[in-house]
Amino acid sequence: LLREFGTHLAEDVEVRVWDSTAELRYFVLPERPAGTEEMTEEQLTALITRDAMVGVLKVTLPPSGGNA
Amino acid sequence: MNGVHDMGGQQGMGPVQYAKNEPVFHARWEGRIYAMTRSMRAWRKWSLDTDRYALEILPPVDYLRMSYYERWVIRLEAQVVKYGLVTQEEMESGKAAPGSSKATPVLTLKTSSRWLNRGIASSQDPGVPPLFEVGERVRARNINPIGHTRLPRYARGKTGIVARDHGVYIFPDTNAHFQGEKRQHVYSVQFSARELWGEGVSPRDSVHIDMWDGYLERV
Repeated sequence: LLREFGTHLAEDVEVRVWDSTAELRYFVLPERPAGTEEMTEEQLTALITRDAMVGVLKVTLPPSGGNA
Repeated sequence: MNGVHDMGGQQGMGPVQYAKNEPVFHARWEGRIYAMTRSMRAWRKWSLDTDRYALEILPPVDYLRMSYYERWVIRLEAQVVKYGLVTQEEMESGKAAPGSSKATPVLTLKTSSRWLNRGIASSQDPGVPPLFEVGERVRARNINPIGHTRLPRYARGKTGIVARDHGVYIFPDTNAHFQGEKRQHVYSVQFSARELWGEGVSPRDSVHIDMWDGYLERV
């Protein structure tokens, strides 16, 4: 399923799926990509996508490189 | 019910239809149906669980053919008639019958939050003891009720470990059918991917499923 969204995880990554079957809903906190340590909150916000917030894509830096 | 809606683990449905920058509502009517569905529930004639069951009993061919909010339209039309808010004649004529009961006070945008967000009971209730403990091995019961259930088919009979106690919640299996709230503990139960799907998957991966006390038995 993740591959259909274009996400390829290394074999050694542990995948834990949360099936939201009750009244509880889970909040996805995307993993912070390397190279963003110096970014402001505004710059970080600009990296967030819907797909990152539903947990199917990682947050990535723009190809041009957004390093501060 | 072992219906078409319970799609966990099903294969052959084709690739995910993935739309970039998908809007919340694809058309204005979808937003209206969403609002109307929430508003009708404010009358407390039926519950969220009852509404979920109403989708599950749609004919399977229709269920698969219809879009998400098409299902909501069909359900809303059925529920308002079934629970007496609107008569079949009114539905067909599109007009309220003379002397039909009116909503009082009228539900308006200003008062809607008071109506719709009346809150749910706290999940913290010391009066309802948990039947299982965090760390305990449990098995999902092999039940096949014809009514509403939130125990996915793919987990039935499988063994997992209680990872977390979420607190006390209404039991949907009875609440959907007006058989009482039967509030009980809900747990996040961790099932290994191998327990669910067999040897061909990573031994590291797992699925956490929210389970009510009534879905579990001791191993």
